[in-house]
Formats: sequence, C-alpha cells, structure tokens
Amino acid sequence: MSNITQKGSDEAEFAKPLYTPIKRRSFFMYAGATAGATALLLSGCDDDDENVTTPTGTVSLGSGDVGVLNYAYALEQLEAAFYAQVIATPYTGISADERMALTAIAKHEAIHRDFFKTAITAAAANQIIPGLNPDFSRVNFSSRDSVLTTARTFEDLGVAAYNGAGSLIKNNDYLLIAGKIVSVEARHAAYIRDLITPGSFSGNDVVNAQGLDQALSVTQVLTAAQPFIKERINGDNVGK
Amino acid sequence: MNLFKIISELEKVDPEVMDRLTHRRSALSALGDISKKMALAAAPIAIGSAFNKAMGQNNLTSVNDVLNYALLLERLEYAFYDQALKATTLTAPLTGVARTAIETIRAHELAHVTLLTSALGSAAAPAPANFNFGTAFATYQSFLTFAQAFEDLGVRAYKGQATTIKTAGNPNNVLQTALQIHSVEARHAAHIRYMRRGATAGNQTTIMPWIVNAEANGAPAPVYGAGNPAATFPAENNIMQGGLTLTTGIGATYDPADVSAAFDEGLDNTTVTNIARSTVTF
Repeated sequence: MSNITQKGSDEAEFAKPLYTPIKRRSFFMYAGATAGATALLLSGCDDDDENVTTPTGTVSLGSGDVGVLNYAYALEQLEAAFYAQVIATPYTGISADERMALTAIAKHEAIHRDFFKTAITAAAANQIIPGLNPDFSRVNFSSRDSVLTTARTFEDLGVAAYNGAGSLIKNNDYLLIAGKIVSVEARHAAYIRDLITPGSFSGNDVVNAQGLDQALSVTQVLTAAQPFIKERINGDNVGK
Repeated sequence: MNLFKIISELEKVDPEVMDRLTHRRSALSALGDISKKMALAAAPIAIGSAFNKAMGQNNLTSVNDVLNYALLLERLEYAFYDQALKATTLTAPLTGVARTAIETIRAHELAHVTLLTSALGSAAAPAPANFNFGTAFATYQSFLTFAQAFEDLGVRAYKGQATTIKTAGNPNNVLQTALQIHSVEARHAAHIRYMRRGATAGNQTTIMPWIVNAEANGAPAPVYGAGNPAATFPAENNIMQGGLTLTTGIGATYDPADVSAAFDEGLDNTTVTNIARSTVTF
C-alpha cells in the first residue's frame, strides 16, 4: 500500500464529525467515483458469495445476526488496515510511547478482524463478506494530526456503531462479545483523544449532557465509513 | 421528569452545568428523548427488596434490579470523585488538566445517577447514607489507584448485565442506554490509566489505557479476576472468545497480552459488590 498524502484544507474538513451533512454529500461523491473500480475488483474475487440481487460493486452485509457480525467485521477490517498503515509508515515525530501504544492498538484491531473472520466463517461460511479494500487517500500518514484525527474518527465511530447495534443482536453470546469489544474501542478512543488534546477523552462532542456516549444507526455509521472503503457497503438488512 | 429540578440539583454540585447545557444545542431535546426511552413500564417493586437484591443476590432478573445495581455503583463513583475533589490532601497535586478531567468524570457519574434515578422512579433504591473510602485520598497515587479500580470494575459490571437486560425483554431499549453508559465508563477507565501512566502520577509506564492480562497494578487484584461462574465471567487474561483460542486459532499468531487486551470481560454482580464492599464502607 502506498502512502498517499493529501494536505491542506481538506484535513480541516476531515476532522469534523463524520455524520454531518457535509460527509453525506461526499459519501455520494465517493460512491459514484469508485463504482467502476469496485466492479473490477469484485469481478476478480474468488470464493464470491455475493447475493445476485444486489448491484455489482456492492457488498451486502446480509441480514439478522450474521448481518451484525459482518457489519462489525467490516468496521474492524477498516480499523485494522488503518493502524497497520500507521505502524508501517509512522508519522513524523512519533514518540516511542506513542509508537508502542499504537502498535498495541493495531494488534487489537487485527485480532478483532481475524476473530470475526474466523467466527463468521464457522457460523455462516456462505454469508461472510469478502476482504474489503480501504481507501485512505484522504489521510496524510506522515502527519501526526491527520493520523490521530482519523484514528479518533474511527474509534468514536466504532463505539457509536457497537452501541447502536447492540439492541439488534438476537444471540446472547454475540451480544456479550460485542460488549467485550466496544469498551476496548472506547479505551482506544479515549487514549487517541488524550493524545490530541489532553483531557478530551470523553469530550462533550461524544458524551452528551446525560453522560451517554453516542449510539448511531447502521445507516449513519456506514454513511460515515463509506468514504474510506472502496466497495459500496449495503447494510439495509443488518439485524432484520 | 422535572427538568428544572434536575438542572437545579446539578448546579448545586456542578456550577458549570448551565454552560455545558447551553453549549449543546441538542441537550434539551435529548433529555426528553431519554426520559421516554427510560420511562419503564414495569410495576414498582418494594424499595427494600430492590436494594437487597442489588446488594448481593446473584442473577439479577428484572431490569429494575439491574438499574438499581447500576445506580448503586454510579452513586459510589460520584461520591468517590466528589470527595476526592473536596479532599484537602489532593488540593495541591490534583490541579490543572488533571482536576478538570476528574470534574468531567464526576459530572458524568452524577448525570448517570440522575438518569437512573429518573428511569427507576418510585422503584429507585434509597442512597446509602455515606460512602467511606478510608485512606483512598491520602495521596494522589492512592486516589488514582482507587479510581482505576472503580472504573475498570464499573466497565466489567455493566458488561456483565447486558444479556440480563436483553433476556428481561429490554423494555424501552434500556440495553442501548446501558451500553451508552458502559462505553463512557470505559473512556473514564482509559483516562485514569493514562493519568497513572503519566509522570505526575509516578510515571507507572507498565500501565496502558487498556487492561493487559489480569494486571492489578496496585488496584485490588479481584477487579481483574474471574467471576462466578468463571466460565461465563473469566478473568481479564482470558484468551478464548466464542470457543476460539485467539493466540493461535484465528489464522495468525498473537501474543496473549495483546489478545487479552483486545477484549474486556464482564463480571457478575455478586463479585462486583463484594469487591466494592472490600474497599468502601457503605
């Protein structure tokens, strides 16, 4: 994977919460721009269990609990790929302490990803989504600010995604596992936030006046995550 | 829910609460929304009964039992931070960004108490007259050690009740609200651990924001141990999830420390209460 850099005003926009209308617009922009490339990528996939009723270039997460697991798997793939790149090409001025902690986070996310891949394959081998292709062209991996604000976005989004999907899960074992992961994501989020601004671990942009963290719907989360994934993700039936 | 009563109560302990509220454009509508979510239809149960169950009985079964149990823990946490911020022994060391962070956490714990009390209505258990934390505030380090124990324990406690809420029918989506509190406790836990790691708290560089193995690091060791039954509530050094051994069974080789850190474990309410009782008198 090459280290694609992009500087300038786009970074400032990028640092905003991803569920704002601005990102909704860019989601459609990206969805259109990547449709052709995505079609090529998917046509080359082996072991392709794609649902024939979905449009080419779209990865359907499926329905019911498997849909929720695929949803989590998609997000963990994204996080794991991101931190792998962060560790492979550390940003300028990274401290030894930051490198050690970010390496640990990279491991956690890789473990989450590999765990979901193995567990979903065991439970529903013909319904697991394929490996996704991340799009980190908006991230400047040599910039501490760009990397950490992206990490913050992913971690806060992951927490909100698990919080929002918990009630969709029917199987108690799956719910417990999701609960075991979400607090680790919250710990990551708090750490990344403290690196950016000390004391912002649970700032009022993510924790409301009732002391509640965010909980976002599948649609809200996928809208925010879509610009970072080349395939178009369809989560319409997750949990249904 | 009497919004103005809540705000005036908040102001008594958190003079900045109006600033916080007015800075959030969605605060008032969110309050209304939450009150709907949390307005439980369940019939009120005897206060004494709920309190006793929250204290020690394993296998909480009703959502009100779970909420009273959560309320007790939130009251304990709020009292802990409130006493810490008022402790003369911590006036000198607990300053600046560190004090602000503890004030933030205290505000969240109070918000949780308010939310849970409101949700329970007449079924809310009475608050203990006093929480006595012994020598917890004697030094900055001992304060942070206790704080880490309470936060990590709180994360484990909420996690341990997720399936109970679901099995009890999850009225008004209490599960989602509990999850939203749970992840905030995890943020607190990470920050307290970050503070302990920092130089001002003794530069304890072995402490990470997440739980690596069943580490105690000065906190009571049972906080990271197994619960009852251990098969359902394994210790924090657990490397098995969903029947898979994650160090070798998922297509790559991973270090047990990383595997254990990648998952937080739940804890049953009896164990949680016993741990709390061993360090706090209430």
